Amino acid sequence: MSDRTPRPRRRPWARAGTRTRRRVAGLMALGVALLAVGGIYAAVQPAPQTATGQDAALVREGQTLFDNSCITCHGSNLQGVEGRGPSLVGVGQASVYFQVSTGRMPLKVQGAQADRKKPQFDPAQIDALGAYIQANGGGPTVPAGTDESLIGSDLGRGGQLFRLNCAQCHNFTGRGGALSSGKFAPVLDPASPHQIYAAMLAGPENMPTFADSQLSPEEKRDVIGYIKSVSSNNTGSNPGGNALGGFGPVPEGLVAFAVGLAALIGISLWIGSRQ
Amino acid sequence: MSAPPESESHRAGSPSGPQGHGSDELRIPSEAELAEMSTEDLVRLGNRIDDVEVISDRPRFPVPGTRAEKRAERQVAGWFILAAIAGLMFIVAFIAWPHEWVPPGTDGATAYVLYTPIIGSTLGVSILAVGMGVIAYSKKLLPEDLTIQQRHDGRSGELERRTAAARLVQTGQQSGIARRKLIVRSMGAAGGILGAGVAVAAFGGLVKNPWKEGDESPLLVTEWRSDDGERVYLRKMDGVGEDVVLVRAGDLQPGSMETVYPFKESDRSDPEKLAETVRSADSPVMLLRLRANVSVIKRAGQEDFNYGSLFAYSKICTHMGCPTSLYEDQTMRILCPCHQSQFQANEYARPVFGPAARPLAQLPIAVDDQGYLYARSDFIEPVGPGFWERRSS
Repeated sequence: MSDRTPRPRRRPWARAGTRTRRRVAGLMALGVALLAVGGIYAAVQPAPQTATGQDAALVREGQTLFDNSCITCHGSNLQGVEGRGPSLVGVGQASVYFQVSTGRMPLKVQGAQADRKKPQFDPAQIDALGAYIQANGGGPTVPAGTDESLIGSDLGRGGQLFRLNCAQCHNFTGRGGALSSGKFAPVLDPASPHQIYAAMLAGPENMPTFADSQLSPEEKRDVIGYIKSVSSNNTGSNPGGNALGGFGPVPEGLVAFAVGLAALIGISLWIGSRQ
Repeated sequence: MSAPPESESHRAGSPSGPQGHGSDELRIPSEAELAEMSTEDLVRLGNRIDDVEVISDRPRFPVPGTRAEKRAERQVAGWFILAAIAGLMFIVAFIAWPHEWVPPGTDGATAYVLYTPIIGSTLGVSILAVGMGVIAYSKKLLPEDLTIQQRHDGRSGELERRTAAARLVQTGQQSGIARRKLIVRSMGAAGGILGAGVAVAAFGGLVKNPWKEGDESPLLVTEWRSDDGERVYLRKMDGVGEDVVLVRAGDLQPGSMETVYPFKESDRSDPEKLAETVRSADSPVMLLRLRANVSVIKRAGQEDFNYGSLFAYSKICTHMGCPTSLYEDQTMRILCPCHQSQFQANEYARPVFGPAARPLAQLPIAVDDQGYLYARSDFIEPVGPGFWERRSS
């Protein structure tokens, strides 16, 4: 081996050095590649739909509330119970917020439709329940913020969208209406902007959903602005003083006819009377 | 009130009519006598001519200038003063009151809300007070009178009828219309053609053949039809009339509904055509996305009309043509608000309740290479209620 090679003195060193260097270089390349892959993975992987550290306590509180109040019908793993309640996996915080803050859940009695009633939980508990459901399967969430932040200003567009998407069931001024088999679309007056927003996202009971891809957040705000501008508990929305049920020209015409006719008959009698 | 006996003589065919001129007991005064008559005499004469009998004519205040008369005067004047004040308030409010709309709940909303009631009530009170003042004047200050005027019953006397008829006959003879055939015929032509013109204007629009276009007659095709093979896209409305927003398959979440209208790219720059397409009564289509794990039954011949879980049904009820867009997402029923028909969305929108007898027409949809939904063709059956010539399916 040494005969054939002209520079035996240095070669082993050199060879050994090259081999070591190669190994080290290979290891380093592998390390860099692994780091790069890991880094890219960490950067582009989707956010896990699980509880993060900071609201873990909230989730635990929500789970406790759920286990105490909801588990009978919605199951120990949110999978639902046949004949009692649906699965809550993936319904999202919006659905929880709507159902619990309007008092519809916990349900008093099984029936065609849950009625609005006094909420059983305070806002902090509703947040905890929402966080727990959100932590299990994700789903739509209601934006935080004040009521005013959800009330849009383009009432014309809001009205158009309301008449296009909502008025067929809720009536054109949000008076509600009947559906099949004892179900109904409720009056929208008592609903807060957050509750209306949550209902559009979650589609509670028989209401269809209106995802952000269908009705953008700005459009949802304008719809809420329109609803709030025509609701009958709003002083500025009834120039006549009384909405007469908000059903439009039929009751208004009837009242004008009856009251006006009675007044005219009274005046005629007075004119024709003899003293 | 019993009628005076003289009325009997009128009915018996005396030459005098109800006016009483020429009556036996009424003497017509001469020119000189008329000139000498006082106002009271003239009124009395007029009353006799008109068969009017004054029973009583008592002044309200026989002694002028009493306190009671002054009070009555003030009451009447009070109405007119009120009318003037209310009228002035109306003018001021009409000019100065804030009339421009402000959103409810903000400053000035209450003032704006009161604008219509204010101008209405001030003008109304003003007009009402003028009327009340006039009525109060007649009730409080004019003499309290009771007057009876005789009216004759039944038809006129024989003599009057004969003379009136003779007058008409004479006029006809003098006009010579019976022998002027040309005028009679031209008048007949003018009247007849004018009458026919009125009839054409009233009923002409009803006389037409709705089937002259054959298979493309208006009742058989909708705006979803494409004459030249151009693609008809599904367009949704975003609340701003002129915006054209096309629908992608992913826009709808499971359990949602969107009302869509036909749109052709060649109409984009033609606002009139766009509006016409959207407003056409057979255009609206419900695009539904059913939830996952829903059992679906498709109609024979429409197996490939849906795109995945997206189904497009005409919004026009097959009963009377109302918009059936009350969609119940859990039961997947489409309700019609007019007569309570219900259609099952996951079973080719077949009627399950109410008077409707046929399923809603289904629109065949597909997705183009950019993800936009389009109609593969028009409906394969007429939308809406039935008609005689409809080929049943």
